[in-house]
Amino acid sequence: MPRKVKHRKQQRGRLKGNAKGGTSVSYGTYGIQALEPGWITARQIEAARIAMTRHIKRGGKVWINIFPDKPVTQKPAETRMGSGKGNPERWVAVVKPGRILFELSYPDDVIARGALNRAIQKLPIKARIITREEDI
Amino acid sequence: MSEVTLTAETGRALGTGPSRRVRAEGRIPGVVYGAGGAATSLTVDRADLRRALTTDAGLNALITLQVDGESFLTVVREIQRHPVRRDVLHVDFLKVDPNAPIEVEVPIRLVGEAKQVTTNGGMTEQRITVLKVLVRPDSIPDSIECDISAMTLEDSSILVADLALPDGVESRSPAQQAVVTAQLTRAAVTARGEAGGEAGDEAAGEAGGDSGGDAGAGGESSDD
Repeated sequence: MPRKVKHRKQQRGRLKGNAKGGTSVSYGTYGIQALEPGWITARQIEAARIAMTRHIKRGGKVWINIFPDKPVTQKPAETRMGSGKGNPERWVAVVKPGRILFELSYPDDVIARGALNRAIQKLPIKARIITREEDI
Repeated sequence: MSEVTLTAETGRALGTGPSRRVRAEGRIPGVVYGAGGAATSLTVDRADLRRALTTDAGLNALITLQVDGESFLTVVREIQRHPVRRDVLHVDFLKVDPNAPIEVEVPIRLVGEAKQVTTNGGMTEQRITVLKVLVRPDSIPDSIECDISAMTLEDSSILVADLALPDGVESRSPAQQAVVTAQLTRAAVTARGEAGGEAGDEAAGEAGGDSGGDAGAGGESSDD
């Protein structure tokens, strides 16, 4: 989550279309690419990172390409409607299809894919593994 | 350096809708420009383009583009892809003069295995995958080899200046930019810390009787 924000609460926005940038693997050898739009919470990002890092036994290098900079508010349970917008409860990263979420550099292909698959399990959207080499 | 011929058709309608129709017919919209001439919109066959760009030269293949009875020597300058499907949406061809050097990006291929790094708990990381070079179109190398077999954890980086470039190839990337680096993995750092801590405890125990405590324990980093 950000250290400081200009406004505590945001509108929800829409998730139309595909990602405009960040759609290719830039740093590592492998990447996780989103195939659906969605909000990924800071906790989900951290869970995916931990799953990946534990599988590679802290041997490779992981890049996180998304940042949860959108506050999501929620009204308390059993509250009457009205009285303004709820309190900020969590932070999310807005993700559109095509966005590279994580990148990984690891020498062994099987272990790297295993780590990325474990990370994908922690995400709320469909995603796939892509590599740097691209077919025409 | 491979050279292939590609036939292009001009006179395509511009815009999103017509471009989508062109793609549905199995062709790819594109443009050719350079050498002081005006840009020309064209289309090429998807399968032919795929064949042209899957030679050993990869994306730096020299392509003789036949447009309306004229032939141009070209290289692919840019390829636009769909963000999810990854298929080619648009291609830019740059007309080149066979005698004038051009700036292209050549892939860097790692050769060998950094055994001294891996056996000591380290790993190598390729920092850049392509090298910008200035070269004549007929001498564009397929790839530039970077031998990492002599890397050690002490001599831990290979710079652009250390690469052996073929004759006629001049690097345009910063000479001090790292191509490959070697470093200890975090697991190895932790293991060394623990080993160092135990050794330190033993030494303290020997020197000061039973005063050795848990001061030297490295512990597992919280950010596993």
